[in-house]
Amino acid sequence: MAVAPGVAARTLALAVAIGLLASLAASNSEGDALFALRRSLSDADNVLESWDPTLVNPCTWFHITCNQDNRVTRVDLGNSNLSGHLVPELGKLEHLQYLELYKNNIQGTIPAELGNLKSLISLDLYNNNVSGTIPPTLGELKSLVFLRLNDNKLTGPIPRELVGISSLKVVDVSRNNLCGTIPTSGPFEHIPLNNFEHNPRLEGPELQGLATYDTNC
Amino acid sequence: MESERSPKFLSPLLLFLILSFLLALASASLASHGRALLQWKASLQSHGSLASWSLDASPCNWTGITCNVTRRGRRVIREINLAQTGLVGTLNALNFSSLSSLISLNLTFNKFYGSIPPTIAALSKLTSLDLCTNNFTGIIPRQISSLTKLNSLNLSDNQISGSIPPWLSNMTRLNFLYLFGTNLSGSIPEELGRLENLLELVISDNQLTGSIPPTLRNLSRLQVLECTNNEISGFIPPELGNLVNLVILDMGNNSLSGFIPPSLGNSTKLGGLGLWGNHLSGSIPPKIGNLVELTFLSLEQNNLTGSIPTSLGNLTKLENLYLSKNQISGPIPQDIQYLVSLRGLEIGINLLDGSIPASIGNLTKLNILYFFQNQISGSIPPSFGSLTNLIRLCIFDNQLSGSLPQEFNNITNLKSLDLADNNFSGHLPHDICKGGVLAHLILNNNHFEGPIPRSLRMCTSLTRARLEQNQLSGDISENLGAYPQLWYIDLSFNRLSGKLSPSWGGCHNLTLLKISSNKVTGIIPSELGKLAQLHVLDLSSNYLSGEIPKKLSKLTNLFNLSLSNNLLVGEVYPEFGELLNLQILDLSTNRLRGRVPEQLGNCMNIRSLKLGSNHLNGSIPFQIGNLVNLVDFLDLSHNSFTGEIPSQFGKLDKLQNLNLSHNELIGRVPHSLSDMISLTSIDLSYNELEGPLPESRIFQNASLEWFIHDKGLCGVVKGLPSCSSFTTSEDDSKKNHELLLLITIPSLGILFLLFLFVVFGFIRKNSSLCYLLRLVKVSFSKVY
Repeated sequence: MAVAPGVAARTLALAVAIGLLASLAASNSEGDALFALRRSLSDADNVLESWDPTLVNPCTWFHITCNQDNRVTRVDLGNSNLSGHLVPELGKLEHLQYLELYKNNIQGTIPAELGNLKSLISLDLYNNNVSGTIPPTLGELKSLVFLRLNDNKLTGPIPRELVGISSLKVVDVSRNNLCGTIPTSGPFEHIPLNNFEHNPRLEGPELQGLATYDTNC
Repeated sequence: MESERSPKFLSPLLLFLILSFLLALASASLASHGRALLQWKASLQSHGSLASWSLDASPCNWTGITCNVTRRGRRVIREINLAQTGLVGTLNALNFSSLSSLISLNLTFNKFYGSIPPTIAALSKLTSLDLCTNNFTGIIPRQISSLTKLNSLNLSDNQISGSIPPWLSNMTRLNFLYLFGTNLSGSIPEELGRLENLLELVISDNQLTGSIPPTLRNLSRLQVLECTNNEISGFIPPELGNLVNLVILDMGNNSLSGFIPPSLGNSTKLGGLGLWGNHLSGSIPPKIGNLVELTFLSLEQNNLTGSIPTSLGNLTKLENLYLSKNQISGPIPQDIQYLVSLRGLEIGINLLDGSIPASIGNLTKLNILYFFQNQISGSIPPSFGSLTNLIRLCIFDNQLSGSLPQEFNNITNLKSLDLADNNFSGHLPHDICKGGVLAHLILNNNHFEGPIPRSLRMCTSLTRARLEQNQLSGDISENLGAYPQLWYIDLSFNRLSGKLSPSWGGCHNLTLLKISSNKVTGIIPSELGKLAQLHVLDLSSNYLSGEIPKKLSKLTNLFNLSLSNNLLVGEVYPEFGELLNLQILDLSTNRLRGRVPEQLGNCMNIRSLKLGSNHLNGSIPFQIGNLVNLVDFLDLSHNSFTGEIPSQFGKLDKLQNLNLSHNELIGRVPHSLSDMISLTSIDLSYNELEGPLPESRIFQNASLEWFIHDKGLCGVVKGLPSCSSFTTSEDDSKKNHELLLLITIPSLGILFLLFLFVVFGFIRKNSSLCYLLRLVKVSFSKVY
């Protein structure tokens, strides 16, 4: 019973295939998540060139900062000539405090999974081409202090869930296409009105006592 | 009696007639084959390589056509092989019924599209059908089951969809069934178990679901079973152990669960076993040790527990053993020494403990040894020195200790050495780069001491070096050279002394240079300005002296420049305003003098600027207020800055931390600072500031110590005097002016009237003057 001609070649192919898998074995889930972001972005200036998925963790990648436990705490990619989309995998970075993606040409929507970033202090997506709605899941970001989404193409209402984030200090959603009313309770008591301006369909501060959901929006 | 005569006379003629008739018939049918093929050729969009296909020649001479002669003497087309001929088109115009003599049809590596026509069933004599690597779509037509003589069917690497048809089981002559890399879905039909003659079944790279049917045990002749990269779930049927002729079993990257059946140990001819990338649990069955023909075993990326069975030591032909990314515990077994053919051993990311068995030195063919991210302790045995073929050694993140044995110097073929995150001590091997191929040297977070080995100086193959967080000492000016391929080097947190050599300028590819927290002395060589690819330069916390070379301003890719905590003198030159990509600039705690150049305001990407604890003077240029991307820190504290706080600072609405303390700033805190809405801390203490603070929230919630030791601040901060007790506000001074006018003008008026009175009195000569004098006398005497 002769072994078929392809068997030896096939064993080799098997070995090569596993070899490739094995060379990626050193990466961790945070590195995988960030590498998914890299694949989804177009990087004209090669700022992500150091993002090597075969390294054991992303802590030596440029524009990434980690804490003592090698967990990612900062992504600093502002003004980096990036385009493309954000990815849901970003939500896996549980220790992320600063997500700085401002002043790029990023399109697509804000993934709802960003609501999983329990440690997030600053979410800066301003000056991009981000569209779609502001996900209500952002209301789960209980450590959030800075939320700057201005100068994008966001639509829909300002989710009331944001009112529950007592640590919120700065909210800027100006220059978008948001609709409905502006929350006035909780942290929004101290947010100046000009941080909401240039949203032609935004109706103004909500009137307390009336229905709190936004109709026609 | 005529019949007696005719055979002698007529038979050659008859024979001749019959033969020529048959010949005519033959050429007629060959011609009809040809015509059918030409019709098909005409239907193709691209048929450049079929130029020889024309009526001028016999089809048997056409490219890709092979003929032979039937038993009856006819020439017929037997094989069509058009592999990689650049053809584009469909099979719809191909008249299969005129090709019924075909035994083999091979159209691989072209751009055929459309579906496989059911009329292909006319190829009743076909034994081999290969349509691999085209763009065929649609489902596998049922009519294929009529090709009962087929022994090899390859439809791989197309976009054929639907499920694997159960009626394939009718084609009992099939030896080779290749359906990989196409869009097949659904489960593997149990009917496939009837293909008793099957030698190879390859269905990898599809979207198959469901579980593996136990009926496959009946494929008693099967040598190759590959179903990798699918979504197959359920258990591995123990029945697969019946496949005693199996040479390759690869089910990697699926969703298989449950245990690895020990019965797999019965397939003793197995050369390659791949169960990687599943959800398999339980321990590795010792019976796997029966598979003595194994050259390749991969169980990595599962949920396997328990220890590595010692019986694996029987696998003396094993070349590659991959068990990484599981929860395997226990020690590396001593019996590993018997795997003398081993080239690759990858058991990282597990829970292995114990120490490295000395017997591992027997594995002299080892090229790759990975057991990183485990709990292995003890030291590296001297027998490691026998592993002279090691190319990659990655054992980081364990609890290994002790010094590296002298024998380590024998491992000269290392390209990649990663011992990071352990407790290693002692000196680095002096011949660490003797072979001249070392590229990755990762030793950070250990207790290595002594000097950087001299052989590292000549190590031109070095690309990435991490030696930070050790206790390395010695003079770096000698032992580090120009590395043309180096792109990353971190020597921070050691005890290195000596000077930075100008030869660093020769590291053209360097993107990161960190030597912070050492004892480096001397100047920063201006040759560093040649490192055009440099993104990060951190020389902080050393004893560097001299000036910051102006040439560093040429490093346009630099985004992080940290030179803090040194003895640097001189000025911050205006040229640094050319570092347009700079995000972090930290020159704090040095002896820099002079003014902050206004050109720094051009570095629009700066998010953290620290110039504190220097001897800087002059006023703060208002252009710093242009750095609107300042987010983390603006620290100018502990200098000799004079003048006022620029009101342009109000534009820094994202800045979180502002420290101007311990300077000589005068005047009022600009009202515009209330626009700095992101501030969480603002320290203005130890200045000469005065007047009311802005009333924004940051000041309302601020702590007193940020405003102490100033000239006279007042305002909302608790502990500061309120501003109404001073007449120093702008409003108050207005009031003062008004008050002054209210008093002055009437007083002037009265004085003027008095003057007129006196003058008229004079004109009326002395009488009123005397009267006045008498009045004055009287009033005086009344008073005194």
